[in-house]
Amino acid sequence: MVNEKQLRDEVKKLVSRDDVKYVIGYEQGTYGFQVTPSFAFTPEEAERFIFSPLCANNLSVYLMLEEKPPLRKGEKEDTRKVGLVVKGCDARAVVQILQEKGLKRESLVIIGVPCTGVIDPKKITVKFPHQIKPVDVREEGNHYVLTINGKNQKIPKDELLFEKCKQCEYPTPVIHDVLLGDEVKSTKKEEYKEIKTLEKKALKEKWEFWSKAFDRCIRCYACRNVCPLCYCKECIVDQLSPQWIYRSVNRSENTVWNLIRAYHLAGRCSGCGECERACPMNIPLTMLNKKIEKDIKELFQYVAGVNLEEKPLLAMFKPNDTEDTIL
Amino acid sequence: MKVSTMEKYILLKNKLPEWINMITPTYTIFAPVKEEDLVFFKPITKPSEMTLAYSNAIVPPKAQMFHQTETMFTFTQGKNIRVNPASLPDEKIVVFGIRPCDAKSLSIIDPVFTNDFEDPYYLTKRKNAILVGLSCNQPTVNCFCTSLNGSPASPEHLDILLTDIGDKYYVELNSEKGKQLVEKTKKLFTPATDADSKKKKDVEKKAVDAITRQMKINNVDAFVKKLDTIFDAPYWKTIAMKCLGCGACTYLCPTCHCFDIQDETTLDKGARIRVWDSCMRPEYTLHASGHNPRPERMNRVRNRVYHKYNYYPKNHQMIACVGCGRCIDNCPVNIDIIDVITKAGEVKP
Repeated sequence: MVNEKQLRDEVKKLVSRDDVKYVIGYEQGTYGFQVTPSFAFTPEEAERFIFSPLCANNLSVYLMLEEKPPLRKGEKEDTRKVGLVVKGCDARAVVQILQEKGLKRESLVIIGVPCTGVIDPKKITVKFPHQIKPVDVREEGNHYVLTINGKNQKIPKDELLFEKCKQCEYPTPVIHDVLLGDEVKSTKKEEYKEIKTLEKKALKEKWEFWSKAFDRCIRCYACRNVCPLCYCKECIVDQLSPQWIYRSVNRSENTVWNLIRAYHLAGRCSGCGECERACPMNIPLTMLNKKIEKDIKELFQYVAGVNLEEKPLLAMFKPNDTEDTIL
Repeated sequence: MKVSTMEKYILLKNKLPEWINMITPTYTIFAPVKEEDLVFFKPITKPSEMTLAYSNAIVPPKAQMFHQTETMFTFTQGKNIRVNPASLPDEKIVVFGIRPCDAKSLSIIDPVFTNDFEDPYYLTKRKNAILVGLSCNQPTVNCFCTSLNGSPASPEHLDILLTDIGDKYYVELNSEKGKQLVEKTKKLFTPATDADSKKKKDVEKKAVDAITRQMKINNVDAFVKKLDTIFDAPYWKTIAMKCLGCGACTYLCPTCHCFDIQDETTLDKGARIRVWDSCMRPEYTLHASGHNPRPERMNRVRNRVYHKYNYYPKNHQMIACVGCGRCIDNCPVNIDIIDVITKAGEVKP
């Protein structure tokens, strides 16, 4: 994993530059296994930065959340760059945003972290439900070493890793200005095992599975807000005229919402899994995204967010594109 | 105070299913039910469906009184316009296994639905409900009810409180409603002894001691006043920077009570519905003119804190937070109200 001193030095260097506004990274959270996003405007604030296997958040969402209040008379737009710490999957989201011209490349300084996988907070909380004091978590080979109350505990990586990390094909950020440490090469392949199993089920079974999941949805939109690629100025679900989705929280509207969210990310989702992590109701949102990702790969041999030179899937046409998708 | 004259009984654990079965024909029982590793308050038909080994329900039981979606009336459009008021449910309900903190939250939001206008939708359900609480013997990491004068085993705000004291429940009757419910099924209960009362106290003390996260503010009233002096502090901006603006904290909060009212129509008919709303959304304060008095996330994050810790105490003499910890558990970016309040206490005016 990353040398934290090297990370902090790099961030300090960046925030000292005149053309950099601030750098977004991670710092220790308030309890247990929590890590929280951190914003360094000064070299002193960079001292708080950490990187550990607990750094699950995809920070690129903050690039899209930056608020730009209207300029006062005579005031000039602040065009300084924003720095960002990214893992492999986070970097793919950045590439996707750049492809879509959601941001300009020159507005960013990207610190890449070659990633060996991160811990699923839900899994670790189940194992240690009463952990209040912050825990030091290190990676050693195929294990995580947790220091709890001065005692070391060794846990196999597989037990705590996010499922997405087990099939990650792009652990080293595909885009970066600085890379901290050596490139991590992946021999893993996304097999879509879970999706294939679900695909084989009868329609009725699938409907039961999803309706049970969508019935739980409370429409808090944490899935949308945590997603770096959900950055429409006005989300379709907020629109009142015309109102495409009613505010009523019921199976029908919840289903529409969850499917629209997944479809709007078709060919765009970078697979960071933040939607599912943020969902308080344990809705398996990654499965929806993965199903669409798999179909797109099969239909168009396209993978989102891996090549900056490429056009977004829905913005390009190839004469030999399959016509199976046209009704 | 009711507490001193409270009747106390013992219910053997193996008699609990019998008790539930006895009251099921008269009441709709909402009890904690496990689904996908989460616990929800759901109607049950038999005691085996519920789980009492749980910390807290993911959605607070306020949802049983204040539905996330409520039809206020239906109507027809076109030539024959007719308005049909929604029928108010007259079913009697028992919310079984509700935690003392969640029961307190209902007392906190009662004034919103009673003060200026008596809200029939909430009040009908509230009045028809008997709250049978279950003491929280194993508080979770983010429980902090004791910071706000609460206790994991307090019968206040409940009709009946059960406390697990080993092989039996210590039963405290705290209202007429509670007494009546037990009266009808009296044969299952035996009077509690002093030894039982002592056991309950011990259990309560153990639970209180297990709550280790605390808001570090010395004086709650002084803190309410202090907030008046730091409204414009840059502090709020630092918290808001990491806020995503989702509604998880507000929807899962047992005291959040804001709603939106909309008409949902087809060509010839429609319904006026009321749904939960969240002040974390820009749309919440957006005026028809396009002006938004809370334009930035900072305004909205600050509002959530101020509404609970400043405006509400000023209007209703209560802090609108019970310390259940749900907003902390479920924030995707670790905005932690214990930490937010503790640090706000340190901000210089």
